Amino acid sequence: MRQIPGLGKTTTIRMLATLIRPDAGTATIAGHDLLKEPGAIRAALGYVSQAGGVEEQDSPRAQVTFAARLYGVADPSEAAGRVLKRFDLAEIADRPGRTLSGGQKRRVAIALGLVHLPPLLFLDQPTTGLDPQNRANLWDRIRELREQGTSVLLSTHYLEEADALCDRLAIVDHGVVVAEGTPAELKREVSGDVVTLRLDEPERAAAALAPLAKDARLDEGVLRVYVDDGEHTLPALLRELQEQGLAIASIALDRATLDDVFLAKTGRSLRDTGAAA
Amino acid sequence: MIRDTRLFLGHELRRTFRNPIWPLFGIVQPVMYLLLFAPLYAGMAFGGDLGRALTMFAPGMLVITALFGTMGVAYGTIYEMRSGVLERIAVSPAWRPSIVLGRMLRDVAVLVVQSLMVILIALLMGLRIGLAGLLLTLLLLAVTGLFASGVAYGLALSLGDENAMGQLMQFFALPLMLLSGALLPMALGPDWLERVAWFTPFYHPVEAGRALFAGDLTNLSIPLAFAIMLGLAALTVTWSVRSLKKITG
Repeated sequence: MRQIPGLGKTTTIRMLATLIRPDAGTATIAGHDLLKEPGAIRAALGYVSQAGGVEEQDSPRAQVTFAARLYGVADPSEAAGRVLKRFDLAEIADRPGRTLSGGQKRRVAIALGLVHLPPLLFLDQPTTGLDPQNRANLWDRIRELREQGTSVLLSTHYLEEADALCDRLAIVDHGVVVAEGTPAELKREVSGDVVTLRLDEPERAAAALAPLAKDARLDEGVLRVYVDDGEHTLPALLRELQEQGLAIASIALDRATLDDVFLAKTGRSLRDTGAAA
Repeated sequence: MIRDTRLFLGHELRRTFRNPIWPLFGIVQPVMYLLLFAPLYAGMAFGGDLGRALTMFAPGMLVITALFGTMGVAYGTIYEMRSGVLERIAVSPAWRPSIVLGRMLRDVAVLVVQSLMVILIALLMGLRIGLAGLLLTLLLLAVTGLFASGVAYGLALSLGDENAMGQLMQFFALPLMLLSGALLPMALGPDWLERVAWFTPFYHPVEAGRALFAGDLTNLSIPLAFAIMLGLAALTVTWSVRSLKKITG
């Protein structure tokens, strides 16, 4: 799941996690009806909120063991020991929560959500606020989980994160799913390559280049031209601009990213929405 | 249901034991009153007989312990809301009301221990009290604590803000304490004041506590206090469980 901040990612996840009752509609989570069997969903679900829910006073071991008890795990201390070890937390497992670093706290939060080995895990913006190293580390963990058969529902406002981790992706804008599919499918839909141009008369340029491109979008004075085969189309584009007497300030050729998908689907660039929360 | 409540109670008690300093702070105020104020009380109205003065004075201090001791702990719950702890445990299969109930029962257990310590100090100072009176007082304090705890969690969960909660508590705590007659019996004042006091909750356990400490076990104020505290406790516990529901669905 991927969305602009403040438009309901967390609300959606909280709703699916049985924390908010939906006003209307239906949902089936881990094979259970959201409205009729919230209890069965809770038992099958691991939920890691953005806040994380790590306590300050208690040690990770005490917290994870208690979580195992709440889920009725047969041997709570053994289960806690196992999940703490798996997330490289064994050494710091007996320190008070407040002494942990941001990355460690995040791993404790995930250990808390995984101690009962749920088939389904919700991660609400798990890497927000982490440094690049911890982010990369967490990505590896999430991939591992996926490979071991845990279904992971991940929300993020980092497009490269969605691209790197997701098998299926839904882009939600103003509470509506505007695109859905694998990252590759979505990128293919937009087009293979994107030529980004800065020039004096972008409107005129857009009109001139439209016949040569699959799509051309103007976003705050920056013209993005979507083409199937960038390397071979570029000379034609340049020729056309020259014939029209349009002077180019800068030009770049890139593979289309999910950012382009987002722009194509919502008409806005993610960077312009103040997404760096 | 009971299993989950016991789980939360045990978890909370273990946390309290790991950090037993806070419950001790909770009795500093009533103990100061006993040590530094009760002797004046004895000199003024009881011809210097501290033991007899304490029969009158100690019950009020116990109710103050229940009032102030229990209200402080719900602050932790506001932190738990913000840090996602509450949400995390609400998504577990545990019966949701047990999240609040376990915490309240911890508060009541702590209050009973605090009360015993206050009573012990009063006994050392010369208080005389029968066993039946003592046990009934503890029971009444437990119910009073449950009521205060219900108010505290209800406020914490519906306000979700330490500052607002602190302001509200301060606004209500002082008049409620003065009107309870914990310091001086309301009977000493004009009729209207006692009539107003009758309609404030903590007046009743103080009155009943005085009867119990005096060995007057058939005094009508005792069943009245139990009935009122039980009723209010039921209301406020329900309120706080509902407030939890509002944030966790």
